[in-house]
Amino acid sequence: MSKYLTFTDVVFTNKALLLAALADLGYSDVEQGEGLHLYGYRGDVRAERAEIVVRRRSIGSSSNDLGFARSGEGYTPIISEYDQRTLHDGKFVASLRAAYNERVVKEMQQRLRGSLRRETQGSVVKLKIRY
Amino acid sequence: MPEVEFTINTETGEMEMHIEGIKGAACRDVAKLAEELLGAPAREENTPEFYVRPQVQKQIQPKK
Repeated sequence: MSKYLTFTDVVFTNKALLLAALADLGYSDVEQGEGLHLYGYRGDVRAERAEIVVRRRSIGSSSNDLGFARSGEGYTPIISEYDQRTLHDGKFVASLRAAYNERVVKEMQQRLRGSLRRETQGSVVKLKIRY
Repeated sequence: MPEVEFTINTETGEMEMHIEGIKGAACRDVAKLAEELLGAPAREENTPEFYVRPQVQKQIQPKK
């Protein structure tokens, strides 16, 4: 059995941008509701509950459900220890944060009615909005 | 021309934002928009430009 880890220091403030970032990583089949149960890879119900859930069938047969629990400030990821280690080469949370941040920049570009320039330098992405 | 520059580290997912060419309160408005979408920043620093007050020209209306 894999343990679930909750990342309280990682909070995704905007639900629409979080869903878009998940879709960018290939997780567009998402369940939404109040206090949804999370299930482990053997189909066992876990104690953790979440408001946004990516079911394990969309991830892999050895994976557990991924959840995002709503708090006062936004949505906090709840990910099993196994998936934290294996998804996106062990960088699932970092990849999701990067995808979310890119979505934030695009949202800001639209709201500021500006132009956007994007450059990649190794593992660093530089984005510039001019308005 | 006002510019907002972002640097995303794809290894950690962390992002830094730098606002340029925007003085005073207008700069605060952009920072507020970022905070609405990202939450409170871990670190915040004002550049010297932030403290420059934008010049407002007085409008004189002609007498009727």
